[in-house]
Amino acid sequence: MLRQLAWTIVQTRGIKHKINVKWVRPEYMPAYTPEKSGDLEGLPPIPETALGRDYALSEEIKDAPESVKKIFSVGHLGRKEYNLLVKEELMNRVRRHEYDFSTAETKIALMTGQIRYLQDNMDKFPRNAKMKQLVQERIDKRKKLLKFLRQYDYKKFEWLLEKLNIEYKGHPESFHKLSRKESLRRLTEMHCEDIRNNKLADYRNLLESQQGPFLKEKLESLKFIRSEQMELKLPITVTEQDIKKVEQQLEEWTKKDQVKQQAKKKKRSSILEVD
Amino acid sequence: MARNVAETARKFLLLGQCVPTVKQNAAKIRVKRLELDENLLMYFRKDEFYYCHDPQKICKTGDIVLIQSLPQKLTKLITHEVKEVVYPFGDITDPITGKKVAKEQYREDMDRQAQIYGKLDSAFNYDKAPPRGWQDGKKDFTSKPTYTKFHVFDENDPYAI
Repeated sequence: MLRQLAWTIVQTRGIKHKINVKWVRPEYMPAYTPEKSGDLEGLPPIPETALGRDYALSEEIKDAPESVKKIFSVGHLGRKEYNLLVKEELMNRVRRHEYDFSTAETKIALMTGQIRYLQDNMDKFPRNAKMKQLVQERIDKRKKLLKFLRQYDYKKFEWLLEKLNIEYKGHPESFHKLSRKESLRRLTEMHCEDIRNNKLADYRNLLESQQGPFLKEKLESLKFIRSEQMELKLPITVTEQDIKKVEQQLEEWTKKDQVKQQAKKKKRSSILEVD
Repeated sequence: MARNVAETARKFLLLGQCVPTVKQNAAKIRVKRLELDENLLMYFRKDEFYYCHDPQKICKTGDIVLIQSLPQKLTKLITHEVKEVVYPFGDITDPITGKKVAKEQYREDMDRQAQIYGKLDSAFNYDKAPPRGWQDGKKDFTSKPTYTKFHVFDENDPYAI
């Protein structure tokens, strides 16, 4: 009975909410999306009127009439021919020589082309499960190849990232499903860290503000001691260097203090403007 | 006697690999060791991690470095210092011939091959390439450990996956 009463009066559940931490779960992002795969660029700008890859080599097509050219354009030939041009374009960016099809950089460029047109298709048909799997396989394989390239040739790796416009991120320590508890714990930790840092900064400011008056007092007393010692013809213990040192410290402090005061003023004025 | 042993142990150099870390003023070094399991009489791999003082930032992620313990602990965490980078990551030199290698081929052989086929302008040029690190934090996010994204912050952290 008593316990029940205590439960209703003292709400233990509420304690959690006293900490000012609000958690927003990150939105679900399919793994094939460019944000996850690291592609910073979409499909290359290839016009629909561009000729198919093999037909463009022909001599006759060069002086053919418009209607014939239209028949052999990628817009008319279909998506497959268009995709060939996409792959060709990306491979041409990194090719060593004309017959280069199997070096690491061309392989990665080829895969990038495949990934980009598949990603484009996934936007149109998001329920195509087979294609989804295919993109995922390509992305994983490309990441693996990039990982190996990084191990044996770092300079080329960086150059390739720039050329193909890809982001590379290392694997995290563990892949696990995100949980509310873990996220809240980490956010609370960050919150506590913030509080600690703010308190430390405040204390530091307080101590630094006391430095100026102390230095002034020190300077005066040092000068006084020196003059007294000179007057009474006692052995002089305070050298001029000591006094100069203190003067320098004071100067530095005043400079720092001015900067601080200006920053404070700016902050105040900005707050007033917002209000 | 015990003190002598401890002192000599402190002078030992350790060989380890630099791993990604969030610490800004220190390098995290992984030293691989083998530990004997007395029941199975088998050796198992055991990793030890040391935080090393590295003011000039001579080592980058992946480098194989030599480390030595400091005479006194610098902080609670930092106990060692980086002596020397032995093998820079992804920039391999063949120890016998002294030539640069990429995987199983010499770089000059690769270049020669490309020239015979007709080298294109799009090919990668080792001489013009800037030293490692120009993409760090831009497109290459490997200097810090990545983690699972757990919250929507105002600023997007690239290391959150």
